[in-house]
Amino acid sequence: MVITFPPMGNVSLAARAFFEAVQIPYVSPQKANKQMLQAGAALSPDEICLPFKVFMGSFADSIKAGADTVLLTGSCGPCRFGEYCELQPKLLKKNGFNAEMLVIDAPKAIGRKELCRRIRSILETSPVSGASKFKAFRQALHILSLADGLNEKAREAAGYEKNRGESKRLLEACFKQLDSVRLPDDMQAILLRYHEKIDFIRKDINKKPIRIALIGEIYSMIEPFANLFIEDLLMEYGIVSKRLITPSWWIKDLAEKPFGVHSAQIMKAAKPHLPYNAGGHAKESLGFAQLCKNDGFDGAIQIYPLGCMPEIVAKAVLPSVQKEHGFPVLTLIIDEMTGEAGYLTRIEAFIDMLAEKRKREARTA
Amino acid sequence: MRRADLNDFSACIFEYFRRMQRSIEIMKSETTVGIPKGLLFSYYHIFAETLFDRLGFNVVISPDTNKDILEQGVKNCVDDACLPIKVFHGHVNWLKTRCDVILMPRFLSLEKGKKLCPMFCGLTEMVKNSITHLPSIIDTPVFSLRTKDMYIWSLKACGIFRQNRRDIDKAFSYALLRQKESSLGICDTGYPLRVALIGHAYIVHDAFVSMNVIRRLRAAGVGVVTAESVSENRISQESGRLFKPPFWYFAQAYFGAAVSLYRQGTVDGLIYLSSFSCGVDSVFAELIRLETEDLPFMVLKFDEHTGEAAVDTRIEAFADMLKRRVQYGHHFSAYGQRQPCGESVF
Amino acid sequence: MTQGLFLGVDVGSVSTNIVLADSDGNVIEKLYLRTNGRPIKAIINGMTAIKSVLGENARIIGTGTTGSGRRLADAIIGADVVKNEITAHAAAACHVVPNVRTIIEIGGQDSKLILMNGGVVCDFSMNTVCAAGTGSFLDRQASRLEIPIEELGGYALRSKSPVRIAGRCAVFAESDMISKQQAGHSNEDIIAGLCDALVRNYMATLAKGKELCPPILFQGGVAANVGIRTAFEKALNKKIVIPQHYDVMGAYGAALLARDEITVSCRPTAFNGFEALKREFSSESLSCDGCANMCEVVRITADGKCIAHWGDRCGKWGAAVQERETGKKEALRQ
Repeated sequence: MVITFPPMGNVSLAARAFFEAVQIPYVSPQKANKQMLQAGAALSPDEICLPFKVFMGSFADSIKAGADTVLLTGSCGPCRFGEYCELQPKLLKKNGFNAEMLVIDAPKAIGRKELCRRIRSILETSPVSGASKFKAFRQALHILSLADGLNEKAREAAGYEKNRGESKRLLEACFKQLDSVRLPDDMQAILLRYHEKIDFIRKDINKKPIRIALIGEIYSMIEPFANLFIEDLLMEYGIVSKRLITPSWWIKDLAEKPFGVHSAQIMKAAKPHLPYNAGGHAKESLGFAQLCKNDGFDGAIQIYPLGCMPEIVAKAVLPSVQKEHGFPVLTLIIDEMTGEAGYLTRIEAFIDMLAEKRKREARTA
Repeated sequence: MRRADLNDFSACIFEYFRRMQRSIEIMKSETTVGIPKGLLFSYYHIFAETLFDRLGFNVVISPDTNKDILEQGVKNCVDDACLPIKVFHGHVNWLKTRCDVILMPRFLSLEKGKKLCPMFCGLTEMVKNSITHLPSIIDTPVFSLRTKDMYIWSLKACGIFRQNRRDIDKAFSYALLRQKESSLGICDTGYPLRVALIGHAYIVHDAFVSMNVIRRLRAAGVGVVTAESVSENRISQESGRLFKPPFWYFAQAYFGAAVSLYRQGTVDGLIYLSSFSCGVDSVFAELIRLETEDLPFMVLKFDEHTGEAAVDTRIEAFADMLKRRVQYGHHFSAYGQRQPCGESVF
Repeated sequence: MTQGLFLGVDVGSVSTNIVLADSDGNVIEKLYLRTNGRPIKAIINGMTAIKSVLGENARIIGTGTTGSGRRLADAIIGADVVKNEITAHAAAACHVVPNVRTIIEIGGQDSKLILMNGGVVCDFSMNTVCAAGTGSFLDRQASRLEIPIEELGGYALRSKSPVRIAGRCAVFAESDMISKQQAGHSNEDIIAGLCDALVRNYMATLAKGKELCPPILFQGGVAANVGIRTAFEKALNKKIVIPQHYDVMGAYGAALLARDEITVSCRPTAFNGFEALKREFSSESLSCDGCANMCEVVRITADGKCIAHWGDRCGKWGAAVQERETGKKEALRQ
């Protein structure tokens, strides 16, 4: 059995670390890119959302490279993501890609027994002991949270750094190094080293950088390609960006969900705007926007793939977050047709607008 | 219980009493309940109409979708939403000056674990943030269509106005009876050819949105079978073939119905009516297409537009194709090994 | 005495505009050229034309570029300010009508709506996905009807009862127009319907949920069309102002932004001078295989020497050029 998984930002990193440690053969997916998306779009129905197309492209590549089992997480929210596992194997098979689809779904949808069976079917091919598997899993989680943490620190530091572009350079160097190593211990060491480096960036704490909250659909949040690398772009402008949704947040959220205590603050902030769950992360988007507004952020950028149903609901409800005091929100919709020029123009104009607004507020104050 | 929850709870109680008080005030005058003729209207209107009528309210229903309603809907709704959602906004907009309260049930699920598309969950908020000067709204959530749950729904929905439970009881059982008598499914007989018309009820049964597809088909000598006419047993049997049970109620129903009609061999073709940018359809049109490989299949996509000529052309061509197929035997296709499939966007 | 002038260049997909403004912000000279898919040529042609009208005592002391080709223009002429179109348009509109609240801009490939308050952009939206709301679409329809684009507005005004044309998508609109034509409607009514459709599309995609307060400025190439202007006035029920230099407002704004930048920073301009334009410019794209991102990098060369790179995510190509440039500047200083 040779496993592959979709490209999902830092999740792919953790998955690589895990499979490496438990010695299960795997094909690491390429980083998501335009060719992959185009190849995927050719295999997918026209109107399906962007992650589906990226996944299809990636699976096709990986299967060509020798993978025979595709690992995918399911979802029980009423958004299309949960139906990927229904359509993708059929389309792959139709186009001559033979692979088994292994879906890690919520126990609510498939039953606990089935879930255990599926997980076991992956793990039993590993030659290492049960204890080492558990250790590998823990280490993968640790790597994931280190990588997410590093991202978060760098995005924050970008607004305060004395040498423009330093944190971005560090972040890039780190991920480049990570790509070149295989062993989880090495990954962990690199991440820890760069954590230190980021901590020692020379900062000007008197700066008052523009701060922008990033909200939107989960895939556009965790995979930089799916948001056309907006965070890197914002770093270049010396803007602090913050997002709620990271893979490690998602895992924490998932673990807390059965007890009903998941992201209590966010849910509370979202409740006046959207009392019922609308699937996806519509509620989280609204709640996080509200919290950031309270926290004095300058604005928010909402990103979602074309046709994403929960985020369309969120977009329609966002004016209710915006009213009173105003809170500028820029909505960016991504699909394979998105031209970079218009995209950049919008973001730049949005940043100019926030800067002008600041200046004016300073003048009146 | 945490403090936040307590606060929420007391806020709820407060809100409830505030509503009660307001509702009694409303009761003093004549109250008109408005029901928008959009989305799942065709599923619940008999029930809702009878219920409120029996309870002594004036019931006003928005007219059939027309150009004006569509235009208002397009104007008052987020751009990315699908056509049926826009049409619904248009109906609410029409009603807002003509009634005191608008009935807009919030469909969260129709059976346990069988949900609807995310738009339904947030519909009330979408409407509230898009249309100004709305009257009050009844958006009591619907969790299931079992009699017991519907009864609870009725109590909650009507509870806003009056507390007399016996009246509600009576009206409820009558309304339920009426609803059960009615049926939405179409199963034409007496036509030489029949096609399965699959798609959300709010497209198939809205003559304006679907540009009179049913009438056009019949005029071309093709009978129509809709998903509602297929028995639930067959639907669940066929949809069991899926990798996992879909969480969208309608997706399951339509998939099951389409596949079951295909297997029975009672239809000569399949037309999927879809609205532009419908998330559910983008998945299930493809799944049905894959499952009914050798049945003539056409997807008609609708958007806010005027061109009826294009629909005519496609339906005529499809009907002609079916006729020729019958003439030359079932397994012959002029277009090669794969049966012709069309996808048409207007 | 030499007069210091500011140059603004707007390189759009359809037109390339150049404006010369003096230090009070008055337009001295303006140029409107078709880009015709060859922006480098358009920029050089435009600059040559500007040079020929530039007086003996005049000197360019600040430059700004905007539009989708702003980086290209920057590489070729050397700019002090490289700004996006929205900020540039807002700057120009604000200079013309200081208390402007709403700017409607319809260009060749995109349309924008900018809302201002107190001289500051407070909200904007931009449509680049759909062709139905843009000048190119009108252009194409005009040529299909065999009517010169300049006369389109006049036709629309003569219409008695405009037909309704689906305006959401260019493809639908065109097929709808054809079917209306075949149904026997007059050209006047169809063109008026087209103008209404374009405005309806604009209002639906850009202005939804937004309050358009007067004064309203209408700029961009399409503002020349009285039919569209009337349709807007009808739809908004408000008066619409068309600035004198409506067709070059982007370039005008870039010039004004350059003026502000130079006045504040007191720097010498980064303008390369007219001599530098005589070099042989070319652009090529290469696919970088330095990492898994596989960026498509654009390289601009002048006389075989590379002057700019962009499109790379990691910045290694851009940095290479920058180093060389700073080296060059330092060498000059010494």
